[in-house]
Amino acid sequence: MTIQDSKIVGDNFQVGVRFQRYWDTSMANAFFCGELGAGIFFVSFLFDFVTGMVAGLLITGIFKSYFHITHMGVPMQSWRAILRPDRSWISRGLMAITCYLGLGAVHCLILAFDLETAWGLGTAVGNLVQLLAACAALVVMTYQGLAMSHSTAISLWNTALMPVSSMTYALTGGTVLTLLLGWNKVFAVMPQGQESLVSKILLLLLIDAIVLASVVYSAKNRSRGGKVSALLLLTGAYRQVFLSLVIGAGLILPMMLLWFVPGNLIAVLLAAAGILIGHYSYRVLVFKAGVYEPMTSFR
Amino acid sequence: MARYGMVFDLKRCIGCNACVIGCKQENSLPDGMFFTRTLSEEYGVYPAVKRVYIPTLCNHCEDAPCEKVCPSGATHTRDDGIVMVDADKCIGCSSCAVACPYDQRSQVDKDLLSHGLFGTSELTPFEKDGYKRFVPGTITKCDFCSERVDAGLDPACVVTCPTEARIFGDLDDPDSKASTLIRERNGKPPMPELKTRPKVYYID
Amino acid sequence: MNDPQPVQNSLKPGRWIRSTCKMCLHSCGTLIHVTDDGVINKIEGDPANPSNNGRLCPKGNAAIMRHYDPNRFKQPMKRTNPKKGPGEDPMWEPISWDEALEITAREIKKSLGEDPRKILPSLEDFQKFNIWVWPLAFGNFNCFQSGGTMCGGAYHPANGYIHSSFAAANDAKHCNYWINNGTGDGFSSHLHAAAQSNWVANARVERGMRCVTVEPRLSTSAAKSEEWIPIRPATDRQFALGLCHVMVNENLVDYRFLRKDTNAPYLVGADGYFVRNAEDKVYVWDSVENRAKPWDDPTIQKLALEGAFEVAGKECKPAFQRFKDVLDECSPEEMEKITTVPAETTRRIAREFFKAAEIGATIEIDGRTMPLRPAAYNYYRGAQGRKLGFQTNHAFKLVNFLVGNIDAPGGHIGVTLDDQWVDKSHVAPGEDGMLLPTPHQLGPVPGFSWPPNTFHLMDYFPVGVHPPHLNLLVFQNPEKYGVNFKPDVMVICHSNPLWALQGPREEWFKFMASMRFIVVSDIIPTETTMWADVILPAHDALETWNMTMIEPPHTEGMCMRQPATEPLYDTRTEEDIFYGLSERLGILEAYNGVLNMAQGLDHKPELMLEPDKKYTDKEMADRKGRLWNDKGIDWYIDNCAVTERRPDKWYRPWEGMRLHFYVEDMLHQRDQLKKQMEEHNVPFRDEWHWDDYSPLPTKRLDPVHEEPEEYNLYGMFFKDIQLNFGESIGNPWINDIVYRDPVHIALMLNPKTAAAEGLEAGDIVRVESPYGKIYGRIGTAEGWHPDALGVSNSLSRMKVKHDGVPHAGGHFNDMLPYDLHNTDAVTGQPETVCRVKIIKLDDWPEGLKQGLTVYDLVDDIEKPGKGRSH
Repeated sequence: MTIQDSKIVGDNFQVGVRFQRYWDTSMANAFFCGELGAGIFFVSFLFDFVTGMVAGLLITGIFKSYFHITHMGVPMQSWRAILRPDRSWISRGLMAITCYLGLGAVHCLILAFDLETAWGLGTAVGNLVQLLAACAALVVMTYQGLAMSHSTAISLWNTALMPVSSMTYALTGGTVLTLLLGWNKVFAVMPQGQESLVSKILLLLLIDAIVLASVVYSAKNRSRGGKVSALLLLTGAYRQVFLSLVIGAGLILPMMLLWFVPGNLIAVLLAAAGILIGHYSYRVLVFKAGVYEPMTSFR
Repeated sequence: MARYGMVFDLKRCIGCNACVIGCKQENSLPDGMFFTRTLSEEYGVYPAVKRVYIPTLCNHCEDAPCEKVCPSGATHTRDDGIVMVDADKCIGCSSCAVACPYDQRSQVDKDLLSHGLFGTSELTPFEKDGYKRFVPGTITKCDFCSERVDAGLDPACVVTCPTEARIFGDLDDPDSKASTLIRERNGKPPMPELKTRPKVYYID
Repeated sequence: MNDPQPVQNSLKPGRWIRSTCKMCLHSCGTLIHVTDDGVINKIEGDPANPSNNGRLCPKGNAAIMRHYDPNRFKQPMKRTNPKKGPGEDPMWEPISWDEALEITAREIKKSLGEDPRKILPSLEDFQKFNIWVWPLAFGNFNCFQSGGTMCGGAYHPANGYIHSSFAAANDAKHCNYWINNGTGDGFSSHLHAAAQSNWVANARVERGMRCVTVEPRLSTSAAKSEEWIPIRPATDRQFALGLCHVMVNENLVDYRFLRKDTNAPYLVGADGYFVRNAEDKVYVWDSVENRAKPWDDPTIQKLALEGAFEVAGKECKPAFQRFKDVLDECSPEEMEKITTVPAETTRRIAREFFKAAEIGATIEIDGRTMPLRPAAYNYYRGAQGRKLGFQTNHAFKLVNFLVGNIDAPGGHIGVTLDDQWVDKSHVAPGEDGMLLPTPHQLGPVPGFSWPPNTFHLMDYFPVGVHPPHLNLLVFQNPEKYGVNFKPDVMVICHSNPLWALQGPREEWFKFMASMRFIVVSDIIPTETTMWADVILPAHDALETWNMTMIEPPHTEGMCMRQPATEPLYDTRTEEDIFYGLSERLGILEAYNGVLNMAQGLDHKPELMLEPDKKYTDKEMADRKGRLWNDKGIDWYIDNCAVTERRPDKWYRPWEGMRLHFYVEDMLHQRDQLKKQMEEHNVPFRDEWHWDDYSPLPTKRLDPVHEEPEEYNLYGMFFKDIQLNFGESIGNPWINDIVYRDPVHIALMLNPKTAAAEGLEAGDIVRVESPYGKIYGRIGTAEGWHPDALGVSNSLSRMKVKHDGVPHAGGHFNDMLPYDLHNTDAVTGQPETVCRVKIIKLDDWPEGLKQGLTVYDLVDDIEKPGKGRSH
């Protein structure tokens, strides 16, 4: 089967494959920023690295919010997105973001100004705050994938691998940016941390590659629509971007750099750029290649 | 309480799209927006070629994916089974649009409301009057012409269909024409594998 | 929503008024909803009207967008740019009505005073025959509208001969086996499309009526039929003759019908004329006594249908035998070579058709027992728009004759145009026990004249509807055709000949440019209005009164149209405009006289128009209403005056008369015309195709099959329900559905044909016929005959200053001939299929690159990841 067999019908009145056209670049930007920010926060959190955590919070708080609001049809009503946590991952995500931003900020303040001591807070409160902030960050890292995976309409998205890919991409980007932000600062005092982070990034990249391959492979074998999505990425309109940016720049290049020159700042910088480009391209392409299953045939 | 649904008789449908325009004029839909479409599908090799016309609209699913993902509560199901979008509550996040397996939702584009059907900045009196119903940026869709239904009328697409290919009725009433047709002619819902439990059935 | 006001248009505060659709020429009943603010916001079918039964086709649903089209003409205008041509902006200048009518009358008068034939009318509001007949007020028979050629130049006269009616339909009420040949009747087009498709859907689903569609394309009809029989374009007559061959040779014939109800037993001499006795009575052969008798001899025991006899020293045969002789060379195997329809298929269909016709069955309706013949063969433009148009129509009729279904319940029935009054019968007895043929269903035609009195040579088509394409032929060769006048003033109303006529547009442009003055009354800009000197803007159908009934298949009555709103602009009714002109031209009395006759008002003298009075659209409508049932217009506002057809008028209204199985009149017409041409030494008489006049159809090939070999495909044009008649493309709602339908957005080929031509879907091509060319983009689909290139009507518009109409790469009609060689010498029907060759191009030619064509619009809709729903 080729793409031609599953006719892409645009907005024509034919049975065939239609592109989803509702979640577009601004949504991709938001998802990217959400995952990246929460990823940085989470990794930095593990190292009590306040600068990283603040950076993560800012990326999420400013950019993710901005892009979501620009995506929203009725921006002034955006607050209503929080109303149905009982069933909507958007609502749950929004709660998690609120929790993550609020408690994350508190956690940073506690750490930065040693408030536990200054205000005589018990460690229990601090622990609770940091636990909740970290959990919320984990939710922010994954809920977007969960929101997508709930769309049975779009086979490329409708897989448990979606939240997994959100998580792994968030961790990869988060780790490499944390590494960069803390380069020779926080990690100067624990060089073994720096090395182990590099090797963890390599591991994460490997996982990313496996998850990505699984996403495309499972879509390809799931349904007509899924196959069209997969073929769009592998052989169709998005082939070039997918192969060069998502695979080449996003996975192979950083793997090579980090494998062969692990301790070199330039190499890590380049690797980070590649990872971010790859992650962002993946986000955009997953939206672009998302197609609805064709209507039931009544042949 | 009734549970409304629709039956499409594929034997009757001639793919004329009168329903599509009937819907557009009833609901004042802007350029390129549809609450219902009639799709065609051609198959076979010459000379053994066939074409089937397949009307589509919101299936008002019992287990509506759009309703499940709606974060604001705008999408809800009436007691009579009609799935509605409350434009005052909708935030335009489009979650429902990507969740609907039938691609039956549209976003109200501000530009289309101001541009008009003739592509000029001047709206026709028809549009000026009709577009008042839309909140720009929100998601909208077929509501089985709920106001007509409340007034005891069939949806606009049903009354105009030249071949009576659309049959609207109460699926809970075993004697309704819709229920009878589904029973006697083995009505099939669209994409049943998705377990959305549509209230729309096809007979052929 | 907090707003308690309804958002759905049909429920908003307002009122519903009863009216009639005019999105095509037919007349479906409508209910129009007008809001309290005076906005027309919903049009539905009138459930009280048994024709469309509350339903409307897509076009009927789109009427509001015509009314509110911002491109409508808003006041009278005159041209200030003296240069005319495609792309020339007329630079309209608004003027007053007085000035507009003054200028127009002055310019018309200038020519009218010299020679009334210098006026060239193109009046085509088919729901207002009162405007259509205006030129008769000054004895002018010129014609520049497309009605004849693009509709039924041969079809209408043929129905006039066979049924004494304007059109014909299969009786969906009782039919069980329905053959559609080159028509969308019951599925997508022709008579009251929404109504007939409802009748047919009910028959198909509830009664299991079997449908067979014979057509080169998988049309809607073909798609919905149990069987699609693809056929090479322009060979439908040969297919029908193949069917007749099987039926006649396998005795699948209703002989009783042929003997009793037709002239099939009449004896025909070697010269083709009936053999008559001294009292001029036609002979028949009594096979019991074995001798000839006059047709009405009460002693006749059994009429011979077959055999060869000698009567009064003349060799003769029954008309049926003559047909059998014709069929000798029409075996399905022979016909297959022409049609590509497998002989076995033809044989099977013939047998199925006969079996379904239930010969011998009867039905009682209203106490009258009649034959029931639930099988019928219908056809229209696609099948009969041939050079040999009359013969082609006749061949299809004969398939129906053989099973005795003419005007029988379940059969093939004549459909009147407008009955005028409720008790009027459309049939009358003619000579020798036969039905009186009425080929001139659209009113009087000019008699023979040399030099010709009409610019389109209507003087030489005693049987036909006007052949307007010949205007161009005569324009190019005035000496040859002996015209001693040259039209220089065009009067156009609700007509777009530059869209509709066949022949290359560039040549027609020269014709238009030769006019001294062109006045157009219309509601929106079109290809033709761009050439006008003065625009007289008319009210549209939602602003006017009217009363009409146009060829409904199952109903009769009168359809009233009333204004739903005040006129939006400074426009006038067509009645106002033409009465205004008549008064200024001093032809008011003559016009009212013509109207009394043409509208049938002289049937009820109290309704007759006074000679010197001008009448409004409402007064005219009121009179037509009173003519129908003595009820005034107020009654029609409250009541629907449409009922199902009265069975006595609908089924076998000619009971006791004989139908023209054999159309002997063809020979009379031929010989009379020949004689007149000889007497007057008409120079082109030897070019006249006398063979076209035939009392029986023949298998002779239409000349389109004899074009040079290099033109290896057959170009054909088609419409569907969204595109029927005018008022289609440019309406945003119609555009919305048409340009999303894959058959309407490309030049269509069978994929195998495309491959053989080295073409792929998406290729840009130039298509050339021997007569013209178009540009376009190739699409492929399996539902096409391999010899056909299909061009939708959606690809036929030209660029004018009217944003809503996307133009394509030229008009299919550019590729059609406009010569005598391809014109039916009987009826004036021109050939509507052409032979073509396809040339692949690297890119669009200049003029089509600017991003405003249909193809650009289609690309926008198809673009991945986009779509205007978002």
